[in-house]
Amino acid sequence: MCFKKQGVRSQKSRSWLGSVLLAMAMAPAGGVAQKFLPDDPIPLDRDDRNIPAPRRHKLSDYYDFLQNSFGSPGDRRPRTAMNVNTLGETPDSAWFTNRHGRRRLPIDELVRGPDRGSGPADGPWKIVKGKNEGVTPGFRIEDSRGDRYAIKFDPRGNLEMATSADVIGTKFLHAIGYNVPENYIVYFWPGRLELADDATITDTLGRERRMDRIDIQQVLNRVASVGDGSYRAVASKILPGEDLGPFRYYGTRPDDPNDVFPHEHRRELRGLRAFSAWLNHDDSRSINTLDMLVTEGGRQFVRHHLIDFGSILGSGSVSEQKPRAGNEYVWEAGIAFTRLATFGLWDRSWILMNYPRHPSIGKIEAERFRPELWKPEYPNPAFVNCLPEDAYWAAKIVMAFSDEEIRAVVNTSRISDPRAEDYLIECIRQRRDKAGRYWLTQVISADNFRIGAGGLHFEDLAVRYGFLKAPPGYVVTWYRYDNARDRKVLLDRPREYAASPIPILAEAGQGRPGEYFSLRLQRRVEENAKIPKAAHLYFRRGAGGLELVGIERDE
Amino acid sequence: MMTAGAQTAGQEPAPATTRAALLESLREKKAQAISPPRRTGAERGLYEFRERRLLERFLAGWHGIHPKIGGLVTGSGFAAGAEFRRERLGGGLFDLRASTKFSLKRYQKQELQIGFPRLLKERVFVDFTFTRRNYPQEDFFGLGPRSRREDRTNFRLEDATFLGTVGARWRRWFTTGLHGGVVYANTGPGTDGLFPSTERVFSPVSAPGLEQQPDFYRLGGFARLDYRDEPGNPRSGGHYAAEWNYFGDRTWSLYSFRRYQTEFQQYIPFFNRRRVIAFRARASLTDTSPGQNAPFYMQETLGGSEDLRGFREFRFRDKNLMVYNLEYRWEVFSGLDMALFGDAGKVFSRRSDFSLSGLEGSYGLGFRFNQAKAVFLRVDLGRSREGMRFFFKFGHVF
Repeated sequence: MCFKKQGVRSQKSRSWLGSVLLAMAMAPAGGVAQKFLPDDPIPLDRDDRNIPAPRRHKLSDYYDFLQNSFGSPGDRRPRTAMNVNTLGETPDSAWFTNRHGRRRLPIDELVRGPDRGSGPADGPWKIVKGKNEGVTPGFRIEDSRGDRYAIKFDPRGNLEMATSADVIGTKFLHAIGYNVPENYIVYFWPGRLELADDATITDTLGRERRMDRIDIQQVLNRVASVGDGSYRAVASKILPGEDLGPFRYYGTRPDDPNDVFPHEHRRELRGLRAFSAWLNHDDSRSINTLDMLVTEGGRQFVRHHLIDFGSILGSGSVSEQKPRAGNEYVWEAGIAFTRLATFGLWDRSWILMNYPRHPSIGKIEAERFRPELWKPEYPNPAFVNCLPEDAYWAAKIVMAFSDEEIRAVVNTSRISDPRAEDYLIECIRQRRDKAGRYWLTQVISADNFRIGAGGLHFEDLAVRYGFLKAPPGYVVTWYRYDNARDRKVLLDRPREYAASPIPILAEAGQGRPGEYFSLRLQRRVEENAKIPKAAHLYFRRGAGGLELVGIERDE
Repeated sequence: MMTAGAQTAGQEPAPATTRAALLESLREKKAQAISPPRRTGAERGLYEFRERRLLERFLAGWHGIHPKIGGLVTGSGFAAGAEFRRERLGGGLFDLRASTKFSLKRYQKQELQIGFPRLLKERVFVDFTFTRRNYPQEDFFGLGPRSRREDRTNFRLEDATFLGTVGARWRRWFTTGLHGGVVYANTGPGTDGLFPSTERVFSPVSAPGLEQQPDFYRLGGFARLDYRDEPGNPRSGGHYAAEWNYFGDRTWSLYSFRRYQTEFQQYIPFFNRRRVIAFRARASLTDTSPGQNAPFYMQETLGGSEDLRGFREFRFRDKNLMVYNLEYRWEVFSGLDMALFGDAGKVFSRRSDFSLSGLEGSYGLGFRFNQAKAVFLRVDLGRSREGMRFFFKFGHVF
């Protein structure tokens, strides 16, 4: 396999990177650059401007796998995510909408997720297309309202496994902020299935032919049934808009003017690594994404989706999740050769993991889970670029899910075995805590800053969640900040405060409108502890007082 | 971060702006230079390969006719042929398969099969098969466990078998059936000039049936219990089979025999199924009434890629056979398993020799290249007292 051409693609990606940086560095009047612009921090990235319709572009699954397993596409230079605002947060966009991380969703919103209805309408389901080829048989149906759904099943021997994984993944990733399809758990009797007059099925050669009742039976023969003759499935509502094919985890779509940030440098795609680790979404490959051309408010633009969560948690979609999933890429040369040379006497510790037998949830565990070592199927370029600040952003959202909320989301998947359900909830809970414990302690976790009575209030998230002991104090240093020259001038000697709130330095509190100040905040740690990392906060004096406009964290 | 970073050397001053305006200008700029997504050459090739289902079409062929590579007995040389296969004919009632294969050593095999696999909601199946073989240089070293490598000869085997089978799938894992048919067989001088023809070295006494080959009728039954997780590459479960057949000499009533075959396969996974101990025991016992004998060309053989891998194919031949295979398999990565194996077995003429004494042994190393659920290519290197053998086979050993 030759990836020389990829060099060209990477180059193109880099040239876009250059354009973005250039644009970001546009100098204001006077020939100097500003770190902060008047509308910073922006809460919204308007990447929904009207565009000409891009062309549908399917990816080669084989190429995608080989390219990412044996090549290194995209820009791998470590740099801060390019689409974050000056607070280090991810603005809402066609990729991501801040939900549970910004404002705690009520339970009923969490469990509703992206659903806008209750699934396929009562009455017969007309099969418009069947799929009996490949490893995942299923149908596409039209209900009595005319809505279309993809019907996906559990593998034989694992009733509820893939369908519940799909629904749980949908609900969590939606609450986090991603665009996902509406997925409903449905139970039905085969008699409900009718063939549309023009129903077709694709055979193993990719040829379409008229579908008949035998085809329906053959699909049903390959999937799990409930036992009383009925079937359980996920009804996945077909996404609105025009299917443009998957997106890559690197570069940009060349025919979408709104897509300007290289995907490997998008915060929500880098941070997806942490969410995927939490939920064991090892199949987080391009093939499980989908761009849709949608029209809203008279504007036509591309909305980017994550789809197909059948291979998440303990489910491998067509079988129980393999223990390798999350622990090793499909191909890792060094490991493979070592196994070969040692006759299998050497191996990674994951092969010793024990899983309780729960056919309805598959294979997942939390005891040996190490979030920082978690791996998807192949080295996803955005995941490889995930920096501590990206993972910190994601971990904050992961930790926003309470035990009660996790239980509520898992309940939506209607797992019938309470022991299995409890085990799954406990795994998700423990994995959440491990993800939080690791990534909230890689940078200083002082957060949720606000200026109020008594000064600057904040929370130390690692302390709040019990991952670190409260430090003896916080060391604070105030500066005047020259936004035009990116220079700091010390205003006061470092001072130590026991906890939040921190008093606002008088000079900063009385500054002129448009003046900038900076504050360096770090934990005071005991002697011999490693050098503490700091947060650098930037304030702008506005009409109403000091406004927080920027946060940077040492890594 | 979306910050208006540091001063860029040599850059023309630009007017003060907002973040939103900056992003808008960036998008404007890209809008002036959009281009459709393109695939690189390698990507296009793989995309077309998948989308056009070239592999599937190659395997499925044209209008049901598709090429076949290999599939003849080991030692036949490179073999190729064609197969015609149509499924769900007669309103979904039956499948049809016909094939013909030839090898460089002029081996031939033709098969015709009409199957009704979906009767009574797929619980019952009926199958009619016709097989014709013409193998011009089958190896024969003499009968018995002490046959000598130096006595290698070859003979032509021609036979035609008509067989009908009716079976029931009681459970997904349990099948029973009955079959009956006729067998027409013929032997002749071998065509391998490197070794003598069998009739030059062996007599009808040491090779029963060498001079005269009767026609047979065949009746039998079988039962199979199969709970392997993936039959194409099992990591757990077992497969147990028993089969009984009676071959009745229709011509001279001299070569009638009964054959009892059992096979036991067990797969013991450990380390999360990344390691497997695979064990197989197989026995075949042939029983004849007084005055009857089983012809040498229908007796059991031992040696080769499927059982005793340190020996040549058909190295041992006799009325009875027992063979044991033990493999330690380990996964290198998803696409490759490796195996250390040991084989032991023997052929024997008398039931009283059905014991573990006198077993021939071999051992070796194997590479198994996997698809999603099956081994598609196997390379085994076996060693025995007679040297090293190398096998390159499509499909798993067991």
